[in-house]
Amino acid sequence: MNSAAAGSDDLFVRVQRENFSLDQELDRVRSRSTRIGGIATFLGVARDRSRGRDVDRITFEHYEGMAQKKLREIRERALQDFDILELLIIHRYGEISIGENIVLIIAGAEHRAEAFRACQWAIDELKQITPIWKLERTPDGEVWVEEHP
Amino acid sequence: MVTVRLFGMTKMMAGNQPALSLNVANGAKVKDVIAAIEAGYPHIGELIHKKKVLVSVNQEIAHEDTIVHASDEVALLPPFAGGAGHPESREGDHA
Repeated sequence: MNSAAAGSDDLFVRVQRENFSLDQELDRVRSRSTRIGGIATFLGVARDRSRGRDVDRITFEHYEGMAQKKLREIRERALQDFDILELLIIHRYGEISIGENIVLIIAGAEHRAEAFRACQWAIDELKQITPIWKLERTPDGEVWVEEHP
Repeated sequence: MVTVRLFGMTKMMAGNQPALSLNVANGAKVKDVIAAIEAGYPHIGELIHKKKVLVSVNQEIAHEDTIVHASDEVALLPPFAGGAGHPESREGDHA
């Protein structure tokens, strides 16, 4: 890791209300190292159907502090356990309309295989250990759900 | 006195309070906190016993014997949005 860039690590793990730009975040990862030859991304978006019910709005709640801590742990473990050069994780909170971005993982590596592996591992791990909760509004009312988009 | 932060379904089950103030002695264990929660909110207590809801202390998952000090950050964590259950109670039935 380039030590000159270490101070900007906070930008690589974010829990934020506002939307994010894929182009901007891809550039952020790309600019970390000229050795990056493959970038894998996972983008989770809000869908209008969940467990057989229509959904017209989703609200994400997170545990401020612990959510960021767990995402930082995921990034650090990914950088350690996979042959990648950078990993970025962003998760949004608050009200999210159907079709909007929810979560973004970007893994940059020399080669594609490790980028894909790290990206998949990171989103799976995020779902398991990050204290983020989803409230779906359906015609039957609002429900806290365990299922991730 | 211990303050327990609530999120998601546990907050809803406690009448949308963001936290509970519990009369638990400084230096008590997580199981004492759980007993105090159970006394006021039996449905939440049941979810904790089923390990559907976990207790965290200072932003790490705690166990029944974890010691809780008044200055600690205690929270109840309902099942995360991830859908495979908590790591310690994973049943593998939500692929």
